[in-house]
Amino acid sequence: MKIRQVDFRRIMYYIVMQMIGEFEYLILSSVARLGANAYGASIRSEIEKATGRRCSIGALYTTLDRLENKGLVRTWMGEPTPERGGRSKRLVQVTATGVKDASYFFKAITRISKGASWTSNRLTTR
Amino acid sequence: MDFKPAHNPMILRQGWPVVIWLSRGLGQAERDAVLGDLAERNERVGRAIVDVFGLVVRRQAAVLSDLRLWVALAFLILPVSYLLSAIAQSAAGEGAVYSWMYLNNWDWALTRYPGFWYVLRETAMHFGIGCLALACCSWSAGLLIGRLPNAILRASRNAFFVLLAASQFGHAPIRMVQLWMFLHGHLWPSLPDYNAPVTANVFYRVFSPWIVLAAFVILPVLFGIRQGKRSMLQSRNMHVGLVTAATIALVILLIQAPGAELLLGAAIREWLWRNRDAMQWLPLLSCWPMFYWIAMCFGRYRGARQQQRDKQIST
Repeated sequence: MKIRQVDFRRIMYYIVMQMIGEFEYLILSSVARLGANAYGASIRSEIEKATGRRCSIGALYTTLDRLENKGLVRTWMGEPTPERGGRSKRLVQVTATGVKDASYFFKAITRISKGASWTSNRLTTR
Repeated sequence: MDFKPAHNPMILRQGWPVVIWLSRGLGQAERDAVLGDLAERNERVGRAIVDVFGLVVRRQAAVLSDLRLWVALAFLILPVSYLLSAIAQSAAGEGAVYSWMYLNNWDWALTRYPGFWYVLRETAMHFGIGCLALACCSWSAGLLIGRLPNAILRASRNAFFVLLAASQFGHAPIRMVQLWMFLHGHLWPSLPDYNAPVTANVFYRVFSPWIVLAAFVILPVLFGIRQGKRSMLQSRNMHVGLVTAATIALVILLIQAPGAELLLGAAIREWLWRNRDAMQWLPLLSCWPMFYWIAMCFGRYRGARQQQRDKQIST
């Protein structure tokens, strides 16, 4: 009889109903924007362009692992290319759960930002 | 594929070997992806070093939060490294005394007495069996370490060698007996050192214990770890058998360790003393890897012959 492997980390993630973090959201959004071209170097460039800050490899790869453990992204190794010194890319794709969690985060951020002084649609108070 | 290193200036830069060396702390797939990303972005070497080092540190820190590592450290790595170091130090001490007796005080006149040859033969056999048992126990310990999950294998292996060296530097067996005596309200007696002429020699005092440790512990452990990793591919029954045999060998090692009898109850100590003649043969049981290696060689020889025969029939 084949025993189905149970991923306890994923179960715990759903039990505690964690919301994704802001860096996780940045990665998910970059991966969704890049589509089939989403891999380490391109995601870093995308995040650096959007935030204007440096994104370290350590932060990126450990967060990617965390997202994969939560089942929000799927990663696999691609083909080696000459411009990468004959090394493979770690390609990334957002899963359906990832899309759901990212849109939940975006809605929450949009809702909570309404009325804040830095948003354009702020409510003026006397 | 048609790969030319000159395509990317990053690879030709000085300091790139440092980045490659640092990346050895990562898994194969991740290493490939990270080095590829750095090469593609044509990152500055200093920045690349900081990035790769940061990732390696994060990965190692993640291993430390793995509960399996701490369980392995408490129940396998720590006791086994202590025991192996203790027995290696004991064997090195014994070897040093006999070497000093025979090599540093050699007298051709003694060779005329049959008693001299008898004692020499007995001593060599006793020391040889002791070293063989130690190497086999070390191999068994390596096999168990090699069977640990991949995620904690590197950290466990490094911890084992660090603890082994620490036990060796700190003369762990003597310290353990001293601690035990202190806890039971006894003071360490100041006995005269009967082996002072032997330990006065730098080779016997400093180098000999490390040579014994390297030859009969470190090397067999490394081979054992390699075999342990390979045994993952073998059948379930086979690796259950291997792990059981290795565990029994380590229990035997525990009984043999100097000072271990202090940890046992009085009844067990008395039983061991009454059966001391039979217990002398116990180290031989821990030599099971010898039979395993012979069986493996025989199996490989038969496989090669079968292949040769199949080739002949097909031609």
